[in-house]
Amino acid sequence: MKNKTLAKKYTDAELAESFVFRTRLTTRQKEDAQKELAEARLKNKTHLTDKQVLYAKVLQLRFQMEDYSNSDAYDEQLSFAYFLRQYINLSYKVNKQFAEDMNLDETELSQILNKHRSPSEKTIIRLEIHSHNTIPALSWYRLLEKEKEHALQTDSFIRSQETKFVKRRLAI
Amino acid sequence: MNISEVRTQSKKKVIVEPLLARDYKRINKNRFWFDWKTEKGNLVYKLMFKDSDEILGLISLIHFADEQRYEINLLAVSKENRGRTKMYDGIAGNLIAYACRLAVKLYAENGCVSLLPKTELRTHYMRKYGMLPAGRQLFLEGLPLLRLLQKYEV
Repeated sequence: MKNKTLAKKYTDAELAESFVFRTRLTTRQKEDAQKELAEARLKNKTHLTDKQVLYAKVLQLRFQMEDYSNSDAYDEQLSFAYFLRQYINLSYKVNKQFAEDMNLDETELSQILNKHRSPSEKTIIRLEIHSHNTIPALSWYRLLEKEKEHALQTDSFIRSQETKFVKRRLAI
Repeated sequence: MNISEVRTQSKKKVIVEPLLARDYKRINKNRFWFDWKTEKGNLVYKLMFKDSDEILGLISLIHFADEQRYEINLLAVSKENRGRTKMYDGIAGNLIAYACRLAVKLYAENGCVSLLPKTELRTHYMRKYGMLPAGRQLFLEGLPLLRLLQKYEV
């Protein structure tokens, strides 16, 4: 039974919109419940189409991208190129076909994937359109921004190069 | 993710984040009904407005990695947002949708979210969140789970 105080105050529908209560089961009940759930999930699995499976995988990639962009951690492996490669691999066997579908030069795509070139804004927008907005342009952009932020913070070479151009500094 | 103000029907942006150790000091039974300190061993998340640190709802999850599943162990919406006089609508739905996001992030189409409902609330969870029956449990997986993510704009 749910709590009597709450039952007096709220309807069942209101309770379902406000709470999930703890339910204590015996070991045997837990085992049975687990078995029932496994069986129901097995039946349900056959209902997914290839399109829905692909949609779930694209969403998975988006959530991974967004969580990484929002985190304070920087991981060189998790670059724009890495996520783009993952995205392409979800539905293409060869990069050439993806480049064609995006109306991108194959060499340009190759350079982006090998981190020799940054994608243009147009490419990022096309990626959004290609995924039916499942991965917004902003999610792709934030990956780039994170890379640039890291480079700006850690690039000592550029600092040593640029020092000579600053003729006078603030007197602080 | 948004919740809507009941009075004006206007939408307000919300975020869900892990509950921090220091947050337990400002969570009390009066506002969140349960003793949330018992959930410290679980994955506990808080829902807040994007521009404020006021907690509006809490969810406690248990991760069953071998089953690619998150179980909702406990959920509570803040006192002022329950029942007929609630100020904001959609807090519980957003928290459940967030659990779905966690499942999809790790397991894509195989991700699952489940709960053990009180008998009287069973049909309401099914109707409100599209949950499927599985013996004594209810669950979200596949299409109903993806629909919930879309509904709550996760």
